[in-house]
Amino acid sequence: MMRISLILNVYMFKVKVFFGAIRASRASVALLLLYTIGFLPSVFGFLTLITNAVKQEAGVNVEFYVEVLSAIASGIMVFAILLSLRGYMVFDYEQNILLTSPIRPRELLIASIFADLTLALVFANPILVLYILLVFSLNLSALSAITMLLAILLFIFMLILLKISLSIMKSLYGRRWINAFTSMIMLFLMLPALSLFLDISLNYSSLPYPSKFLAEILLGIIYDCGVEPLSLLSLTSYFLLSLAFFMVISEKNFFPMAGYAPFVSPFDVSMRTQTLKIERSIRTFSRMGAFLTLNPESKSLLSFLMKKEFIRMLREGSFFGVLLLYLVVLFVISITSIVPSQGAQRPPPQMFFTTFFIGVYSLITPLILVGNWRFSDLENLWIPLTSGADMRMVIKALAYDFILISSVLPAIIILILSITSNINPLLPLILVTSTSMIGCPVNLYITIKFLGKKRRGTPSIFVSWASMLLSALLLTPTYILVVLISSLALGYAVSTPISAIILVYSAVIMMLFMRLAEREILTIEV
Amino acid sequence: MTSFPIVELIDVWKSYDGTQALRGLNLEVNRGEIFGLIGPNGAGKTTTLKIIVGLLKMDRGIVRVNGVDISEEPYEYKRLIGYVPESVSLPEYLTVEELLIYAGKIRGVPDNQIRERMNYFIRLFELSEKRRALILSLSRGMRQKTAIASALIHDPDLLILDEPFIGIDPMGQHVLKELFSERVKEGKTIFISTHMLDTAERLCDRVAIIHKGQNVASGDLKNLQQLSRTGESATLEEVFLKLTEEAKELMVEEPIERKRRTFFGFLRRSP
Repeated sequence: MMRISLILNVYMFKVKVFFGAIRASRASVALLLLYTIGFLPSVFGFLTLITNAVKQEAGVNVEFYVEVLSAIASGIMVFAILLSLRGYMVFDYEQNILLTSPIRPRELLIASIFADLTLALVFANPILVLYILLVFSLNLSALSAITMLLAILLFIFMLILLKISLSIMKSLYGRRWINAFTSMIMLFLMLPALSLFLDISLNYSSLPYPSKFLAEILLGIIYDCGVEPLSLLSLTSYFLLSLAFFMVISEKNFFPMAGYAPFVSPFDVSMRTQTLKIERSIRTFSRMGAFLTLNPESKSLLSFLMKKEFIRMLREGSFFGVLLLYLVVLFVISITSIVPSQGAQRPPPQMFFTTFFIGVYSLITPLILVGNWRFSDLENLWIPLTSGADMRMVIKALAYDFILISSVLPAIIILILSITSNINPLLPLILVTSTSMIGCPVNLYITIKFLGKKRRGTPSIFVSWASMLLSALLLTPTYILVVLISSLALGYAVSTPISAIILVYSAVIMMLFMRLAEREILTIEV
Repeated sequence: MTSFPIVELIDVWKSYDGTQALRGLNLEVNRGEIFGLIGPNGAGKTTTLKIIVGLLKMDRGIVRVNGVDISEEPYEYKRLIGYVPESVSLPEYLTVEELLIYAGKIRGVPDNQIRERMNYFIRLFELSEKRRALILSLSRGMRQKTAIASALIHDPDLLILDEPFIGIDPMGQHVLKELFSERVKEGKTIFISTHMLDTAERLCDRVAIIHKGQNVASGDLKNLQQLSRTGESATLEEVFLKLTEEAKELMVEEPIERKRRTFFGFLRRSP
């Protein structure tokens, strides 16, 4: 017999633990709102994309879309199964408080499922907004809207139950056959996706996969071509099967075999989790960074401190993280320029390339670098702060290193691409340099600002969010000038002085924010 | 020889989020002595040390180090100080050697002296086998020894240590005590905060007992025995218990003036 009140208590406890840290700073609430507002343009973008696709009904190949959506849903299933391969994981506080209490496994699992859904709702609220807007913009009937929601919920619950059951199975009977079995499932799930690229007869439409049933229901509603009752019934059957599997497996006492994971919450301000992650990274990357060592024979304190920061970035993995990021970019751009797309006109490579870099990666790089510094070195700030050393030098060393890494690594990739794909490297180089010159000091300043006594309780996710928004705002003149150069196809005679203006503007912002960061570091208390 | 104390705190106040950590603390540490700061949990020991080394800012009061008011000159005086916090956090991505070089370099120690002193402390604290190991791989005691070595690399006149013996093995503690005695003979000052009353009794020339942010009593054991009227045979622990108990009875809780925070609070004109 399950104890409902106990489940409710555990559910409330888990939610409070997750959101508890939000109380540490009032800025968190405002920034959570900012997070939702920040996603609204993307929500409207998706909405327009879907409604436009639906309105251009002539020649729409719904069967092809079913294949694509089935492949995406199968990918999500594979991801859930992959997560289960670690076995059932509990957080450190759950291990200490809940697993040592008289709670039964099923009670804990049910409380955990509802707690996870509650947490997901907060962060997935833009998706909910999208769903509601979609219902209205497509003029869906109440029945269609409910059916759509029901199908999505059935699929999500099926995934959650499957993931939990498989992970408990893995914890209880951690044998190789479980890995083999789950790998087979994943392979079977993704195999038909090959039909999107290759001319093979195996496709999702001919297979009774839950992902296919979900795709059929959703697209049937969106394109108003009716929902097959069999699809809904089949999806429900899959959900019931997962539920039965869960009911059987949740009876077992998996507590002694549960794995341990440090507690993760985006609202966690203790930085303990991030510090643990950094420790793990140091173990992995320190050997690769061992060739460079710190010695006292440096010409100046600035160059010594820059070397020390570079060693940190090598040994805690920041450098390799950024390198990996840009290698992925290089790979993706190379593939997209080699593989011819079917039918649709491919956008000009330079435009794609520029948008890709500037829109996403150049802004992310300073975030990664400054964020990792915060996690790995904040607690060590007592060393320079009590040394009597000029803290301006410490900030300068940090900022210069960040700017160097976030501009040199992408510059190398740009130059490689300019040779292999015959792209004019001037604009991408100017953009990357400007983003790095503005992004790094801005991120550094905001991070230090949030180390202040009153703001220290702000979760790092919001600090990053605020840094990214301010950087993007300050980069607006750069974006405008770059768009002008590229859209008007200005020649070198005009684009070179404009590029110089961009660099001068970036340098002014860089100096300003470095000055602000230097002033701010003197006021922090550790 | 200069006559003024190396550390002097006059009427120092500090509060955190509505909690008064220091309430008009007065303290004097003389040159060439081992001075101990003792007190129950939450008495304000760590806060006091952090204010002296410039990691915290006091609300009001005067702190002088080597005769210099640290509010007026907040940086240069730090060259005289070596500091080891209670829960030591060190850059785990550096090796023991690299940390000592880093500590020496940012304190402006000449390159040849960095190497010389680094080798000396690595030998003294038996860290030779770990000199090129990442700090990440060190035990707690070894980290503490490394932190102490980094605080001594510039040969400071004043060494400030918050609970220095925690996590260090008996042999290491012995080495540390010997080192403190040697430094005091050279005219240097050691200022420690500790819970270990027996250690404080044997090691310190003078102690200050602080309770709820106030200096209840300070002096050598004899002075404290007289002050507490516990008799000549009383241990520091007995003196401590008597004095803190008396202080509890005498101390009147002083309400802290809290600023009322309202949404439109910023519109109010400040007095």
